[in-house]
Amino acid sequence: MRIGVFVCQCGTNIASTVDTERVAQEVKKLPDVVYTTTYMYTCSEPGQQEIQRAIEEHNLQGVVVAACSPRMHEPTFRRAVEKAGLNRYMFEMANIREHVSWVSNDREANTKKAIELVRMAVAKLRFNQPLFPSRVAINKRVMVIGGGVAGIQAALDCADAGLDVVLVERRTSIGGKMAQLDKTFPTIDCSSCILGPKMVDVAQKENITLHAYSEIESVSGYVGNFAVRVRKKATYVDWKACTGCGVCMEKCPSRKVPDEFNEGLSFTRAINIPFPQAIPKKATINRSYCIYFTKGKCGICAKVCPAKAIRYDMTDEVVTEEVGAIIVATGYDLFDPSAYGEYGAGQYRDVITGIQYERILSASGPFGGHIKRPSDGREPKDVVFIACVGSRDASVGRPYCSGVCCMYIAKQAILTKDHIPNSRSYVFYMDIRSPAKNYDEFVRRAQEEYGVQYIRGRVGKIYPRGDRLVVQGMDTLLGIQVEVEADLVVLATGIEASRGARELAEKLHISYDQYGFFMENHPKLRPVETNTAGIYLAGVCQGPKDIPASVAQGSAAAAKVLALFARDTIETSPQVASVTERACIACGKCIEVCPYGAIRWKELKGGVRKAEVITTVCQGCGLCNATCPPKAIQLQHATDNQILAEIEELCA
Amino acid sequence: MWSEITKKLQETVQNIMPQVEAVIGWERGFNEIRIKPVVIKKEGDISKLVWNPFCVQNLSGYLVKSPAVIPREGRRVAICVKGCDSRSVTALIQEGFLKRDQIFIIGIPCSGTVDWRKVMKRLERSSVIHRAEIKDGRLMVEHAEGVEEIPLREILLRRCLRCVYPNPTVSDVVIGETVSPHIEKEDLYKDVEAFERKSLDERRKFWAETLSRCIRCYACRNACPLCICQDWCIAERRDPKWVTQKPTLKDILLFHGIHALHLAGRCTECGECERVCPMEIPVMFIKEKLNETTLRLFSYEAGIDSNLVPPLLTFNPHETGI
Amino acid sequence: MEEREKTKNNTEMRILGFLCNWCSYGGADTAGVSRLKQPTDLRIIRIPCTGRMDPLFAFKALISGADGVLVSGCHPKDCHYSVGNLYARRRFEVLKDFLPFLGIESDRFHYTWVSASEGQRWQEVVTEFSRRIHELGRNPGFDMNTNLVNSEAR
Repeated sequence: MRIGVFVCQCGTNIASTVDTERVAQEVKKLPDVVYTTTYMYTCSEPGQQEIQRAIEEHNLQGVVVAACSPRMHEPTFRRAVEKAGLNRYMFEMANIREHVSWVSNDREANTKKAIELVRMAVAKLRFNQPLFPSRVAINKRVMVIGGGVAGIQAALDCADAGLDVVLVERRTSIGGKMAQLDKTFPTIDCSSCILGPKMVDVAQKENITLHAYSEIESVSGYVGNFAVRVRKKATYVDWKACTGCGVCMEKCPSRKVPDEFNEGLSFTRAINIPFPQAIPKKATINRSYCIYFTKGKCGICAKVCPAKAIRYDMTDEVVTEEVGAIIVATGYDLFDPSAYGEYGAGQYRDVITGIQYERILSASGPFGGHIKRPSDGREPKDVVFIACVGSRDASVGRPYCSGVCCMYIAKQAILTKDHIPNSRSYVFYMDIRSPAKNYDEFVRRAQEEYGVQYIRGRVGKIYPRGDRLVVQGMDTLLGIQVEVEADLVVLATGIEASRGARELAEKLHISYDQYGFFMENHPKLRPVETNTAGIYLAGVCQGPKDIPASVAQGSAAAAKVLALFARDTIETSPQVASVTERACIACGKCIEVCPYGAIRWKELKGGVRKAEVITTVCQGCGLCNATCPPKAIQLQHATDNQILAEIEELCA
Repeated sequence: MWSEITKKLQETVQNIMPQVEAVIGWERGFNEIRIKPVVIKKEGDISKLVWNPFCVQNLSGYLVKSPAVIPREGRRVAICVKGCDSRSVTALIQEGFLKRDQIFIIGIPCSGTVDWRKVMKRLERSSVIHRAEIKDGRLMVEHAEGVEEIPLREILLRRCLRCVYPNPTVSDVVIGETVSPHIEKEDLYKDVEAFERKSLDERRKFWAETLSRCIRCYACRNACPLCICQDWCIAERRDPKWVTQKPTLKDILLFHGIHALHLAGRCTECGECERVCPMEIPVMFIKEKLNETTLRLFSYEAGIDSNLVPPLLTFNPHETGI
Repeated sequence: MEEREKTKNNTEMRILGFLCNWCSYGGADTAGVSRLKQPTDLRIIRIPCTGRMDPLFAFKALISGADGVLVSGCHPKDCHYSVGNLYARRRFEVLKDFLPFLGIESDRFHYTWVSASEGQRWQEVVTEFSRRIHELGRNPGFDMNTNLVNSEAR
């Protein structure tokens, strides 16, 4: 084989701690290597042309690029060598940036390591074979998991483009966290007024199938052809018949059901529609509070329902939806502030969370939009906001910034002044994060126009004095202890990963970070793709962000799906298992271990059986290869010979 | 005693002969202490069958490995098994190489088989054996230079001295009385444990010395009923190139590593690998270690329950601490 | 750093890493992107999944002169191929238990799980494993390439 090696300097990223010239000279001595060179930026247009020129000029049959991680630029270089007439699999990369130059400053050791990594790549390349992809049809339906604003945007964009969309929502209505908000920053427009029409659109689009009160049971298949089992939880109400008239809710005698939508600040009924603008606007029975289910008799809702929609015998139903792509938009949950004992959340009724205050401010909230204290219903005069409750605090395992709290505090302080003109608001903060368009102006308005007092420092303690609360903290700018007597304290609780996010990630085979946020393929260049082809991310499930960013990411994910679906077929990777029939001893161990059922028996003449790979189903994990005793089944591009060559290059 | 069982065995075979295609058993070899496998296909040959402590071979390999006696559709093959051999049969059923209804298992409880090499070492220069008889736990050999009496225990195969399954674990008919195991189950791996008390250097030295005798004849592999790759064994193939033909310790060790790791969680400790080794390498000892491991980690013993999946061909998402 | 100086010698050890493409190779990349400094002994081989890892690869490396073999994959339940690492960990446990029987230190083989986001964890894993191998020193091996026809065993 005639091999060319291209050692990239990556500007100074590699060259500063690896002697790239020496690497090129040393590997020139290897058998089969007929051409080596260094280049400033091999991935650049001229860098790629340099490879193509060398392939032609030196009649190269295989190419090694020693540069960054193959996870970064392998596809780039494969395309480049393909354009020059080589098969794209006659290419290997040696990762001398992420694994060498960036992790050590020892130039001598790095250079030696780089040489060895190139030697290993060359050794592997000697066993590379040209491989050719096959194609499978794409099922042009898309599933969106999560019906918050990001999921709604993604679903609507896909539906507008003519795709069939399946939207799966865990709760009984779509809308997500945004539906609970009163107003949105920095424009103070009414949250439900801007979200409501989008929710209605979802209900009205004929090509959107909505599974509310449903969860993902399991996911199988691969890009272009997923099969998702969706558990439709029992609502005990036939939603086809239910008109959403609300009579059942009015008459239900179980009246002490904490209202989740109002964050526990008020009560709802055992049968309820979560909020007036709910989509779908259908009733659901909460089994744990329903008198019929807990005591065995009642049945009032069934009696009063004009549509005869009540079904006490309903059970969960599992439906299978076949889709070609999945957008995950499962949103977030809020930090539980009880971790901060000194703030007294849960202990003092007038210490509430930001989202609870959002409900109090809302006209559809527990107090009809009048600001009242949960304890006694009195209108507060002094309101204290505490920032970074469960954000930027490693001691509670939340070192990251939630990104939205500074802004929502400013908004809530402004709204407090609007509701109660003679009120005073105080904000205890660490730093103010307001980087987006019109955000900093908004915070300044809160301070300058609305007279909100910003105190830089952390709160040490909250304790009651009479019917008020004393907030004790430090003003670090003045260097003094401050004490504010407040009627109401609002904790700006931070964003955390949605409960159940990890379990869902495991079902989808996507990665998540240590906090439970789903991992994007590349933090900058592939922010909505996951590591699993055909699965995309939108909204806060990927990391804290505000509404505009969530909506933008929803649209971005939709655009990715549309790009995927722009073709009728998809190339499947040829990096799949392949059986050498004569060596197959028909032990069936590969069939037994294959996680995808991608291997089956093939009957030859005389009843002889051999294993056979269904290449479109095989995902290329190589478990069969590791299991096969005579190594008759080999994972293409990671064959025993290739891996052994790498080992031997290093150990021999 | 042995002739009685032999007689019963022949009678049993006589009865089942019409139902089976063939019977795999043992017959006398070139002298009384050397027994060889035999495949009986017609009634006239039934009298060749014998049973005695010289019937060392595990015959189950003949059910699957070339030249195998493979039953035709709807027919059965009968096989004689000792306790240890019966586990191999179960393992083969377990892994799908055999169907239970294709075979008729004639089980024979066994109180230990004789290592002919140990006998020959006792006889020193004399190699011609006229007559051999086992009586009251002693072997009496009439040979060219005289008569030698040896306590049976001193000439049993190592595998038999640590046998805990002397009675067939699966069978269609059992011939002979149940016998008790040589050792308690908790002592099964005491050799392994003793060896592991040696320093790493001593262990390495032991294997370097012992395995340097290996001539890579592959007899151990060929005798193993569960080494099913046969002509496609990666120890002998050069594509993929796992092992070279160079006579180096590395290649020898690699071959034994392949053999052992391919049997991890599958080996039934029949000891055939060790019995057939012409260089007297304790080949089974390596597998004993792996069996000790799989028993400890996965509470698994090969060839006991045909419904279980060998531990390395399955997983348990909940297992912690591994 | 003090720990590093305690190592038996300053020469590099021969350490092979087998990293699954989806989690740990990404984790090693993340460590690189974050410029998290690591010992330089490790050479990484990219495999699709730890399920692809035949324990014999590690076995062969260790009897061929590698001083250490490190395998890392996705955390259990996070396997890109759902269960590859669950099969793998059983096989690795068996190998780990087997090596000392032949006289090879169990610590020369290590397997762990590092996700693509855990750059810092990767740094810790590499640092700790390299330290351990330096402490063990060279793998004495078996005079592997000795031609047995012409020489006596050690």
